[in-house]
Amino acid sequence: MTTLTRQDLNFGQVVADILCEFLEVAIHLILYVREVYPSGIFQKRKKYNVPVQMSCHPELNQYIQDTLYCIKPLIEKNDAEKVVVVIMDKEHHPVERFVFEISQPTLLSISSDTLLSHVEQLLRAFILKISVCDAVLNNNPPGCSFSVLVHTRDAATRNMEKVQVIKDFPWIVADEQEVHMQEPRLIPLKTMTSDIVKMQLYVEERAQKT
Amino acid sequence: MDELYLDNIDEYVNDHNKIVTYKWLSLTLGVHVNTAKQMLFHYLDHKRKESSAQLHATYLVSGKSVDKGQTSHKVSVVREEQLEDCKSKMSLIVSVHVYSVQKALLKDSGPLYSVDYDAVKDNLKDCSRYSAIRCADAVPMSSLELQQVREPQRAPTPEPEPKKTATNGDVANGTSKPAAKQQKGIMGMFATKAAPKNQDADKEVKTEQKEDAPVVDAPKSKPAAKTNPMMNFFGTQTAKKPEKSVKQEEAAQSSSTAEQQRQSSKPEEKPKAAAVEAPKTSKKDSSKTKRIEDSDSEDEIMEKKKRRRIKKPEPDSSDEDIIPDSPQQMETKEKSPSPKKKKEAEPVSHTHQSHSDIKTRKRRRVMKSRTFLDEEGCMVTEKGYESESYSETEDDFKPTKPALKDPVPAKLSLSSKQDEKKSQKKTSANANKGSKQASIVGFFQKK
Repeated sequence: MTTLTRQDLNFGQVVADILCEFLEVAIHLILYVREVYPSGIFQKRKKYNVPVQMSCHPELNQYIQDTLYCIKPLIEKNDAEKVVVVIMDKEHHPVERFVFEISQPTLLSISSDTLLSHVEQLLRAFILKISVCDAVLNNNPPGCSFSVLVHTRDAATRNMEKVQVIKDFPWIVADEQEVHMQEPRLIPLKTMTSDIVKMQLYVEERAQKT
Repeated sequence: MDELYLDNIDEYVNDHNKIVTYKWLSLTLGVHVNTAKQMLFHYLDHKRKESSAQLHATYLVSGKSVDKGQTSHKVSVVREEQLEDCKSKMSLIVSVHVYSVQKALLKDSGPLYSVDYDAVKDNLKDCSRYSAIRCADAVPMSSLELQQVREPQRAPTPEPEPKKTATNGDVANGTSKPAAKQQKGIMGMFATKAAPKNQDADKEVKTEQKEDAPVVDAPKSKPAAKTNPMMNFFGTQTAKKPEKSVKQEEAAQSSSTAEQQRQSSKPEEKPKAAAVEAPKTSKKDSSKTKRIEDSDSEDEIMEKKKRRRIKKPEPDSSDEDIIPDSPQQMETKEKSPSPKKKKEAEPVSHTHQSHSDIKTRKRRRVMKSRTFLDEEGCMVTEKGYESESYSETEDDFKPTKPALKDPVPAKLSLSSKQDEKKSQKKTSANANKGSKQASIVGFFQKK
């Protein structure tokens, strides 16, 4: 029975690692399920003891990894409010937004030995939900692209700039066009609550896609 | 069968957007798998008639198929669209049933596994309670049977270990016996050169290897390798060996003798029952063992550390035991047997080195001058012997060194009138020491 605070950076790093791993798998899976890229570039890999589809394309993988590398420090300090995977059509208007709302309790209390396996189970459920999400979503138009947005609390972007310089991966403030969607429909997918993190996944979909 | 199950399935499929597999359904509702399959079939049928919602289903087809002349039993999960196709390829169909029902069109089979994973994990102990596969002989073992199975597994694994150490059985059984054997072994090494003593030494070392803590593992491995050469050492002095191994032996000699003595006392410590008996038998040998028995094992470790510290500078200063200094150092820290051995070893080592052909680094005493400030603040140069490492290739440079040293004391003696006498005395005294040193007057003559 240990009670850790936010200042215990080691534990914050552990939580950030878990979340970034999960987000990587989730982004790959979203790209697969929503057919943003042809299914030929994906191969089955194992995560949380279940098969998931991950991309083999090196540049795509590198892009996603760089993105998450920059997000990680924000998650560590609980500055990231939402991580959004936006799918845009050819005119760069968003058609779908997968929103991961993340919040971490300020006082982390580990009350059970099976904490991580419990978290793994919850993340597995998220993965499963993403796999079946196209039942509730309309098909996307062809030729879509994607991008990742991060909504942060306060002025946390200062920290991001440090990481950007190191990694040479610039982040820019998002355009209004990318952030706002016309006539969004909200479809909740999954919610999870655990000792270390609370996460919610929902999809905002544009009513008229094509 | 009441119709509630239809509503249940409907709720799972439509409201929760779940993938409902027959296995998951049977575990959730607590029904036999065949019942679950029938439920799903009925539900599908019902919904298709209503044609309200779009549902997708997967089927499990099991049967015999002939592939290139070979008959094999094939079990596959197929989508509804591929069902008829798959059925036609089979020569004999054993079973066809609904595998899962879901709203979404699945692109791959991964989620099907995920669905069952958690359900099975929750019911791990009796996940097959609703299963149709039965075998009367397949009964879980009772705890007694489990123990019986595990014990024979444990017994064979310790066996290989004793085989490595031949006298392990003896050591395990006897407590005073090994102590006596080890004493004999040590004395045997020092006293006689007969072969049986070799074995004793080997045994001793091996038993030590088995019993001792891993802390002493690294130095232990040295004695194990070195006892044999050491025995050969005492046995036959004319044995030809590469010089390196000789040098290592010599370097480790001091360490090995110390370690053997330490290790001989250690096994006495470890079997606590023998601790009482051992002092009686070992009193003759050396007072060191007595000392160790009196102290705790911690003190023993401290002594080991002390010896280690001593040993470490030794190799730095004297890799080979040509220099008389090292045995003197060892004498102060070790007991009587070891220095005797060293002195015996030295003449032997000399003879061995003379036979050597390999060029290696050696140490020798060289006349060197040291310049320093004395009490009155005057620079003084003194010549003295110091040990220095050299290799055979550097022999050519030896004679030039003493010649260069001459001008140095001469210049310094001219620096101050008051110290002239002192320095002259010193330089003259130094000049007398070396045979190769030219006299101070030689400086002026060469002009």
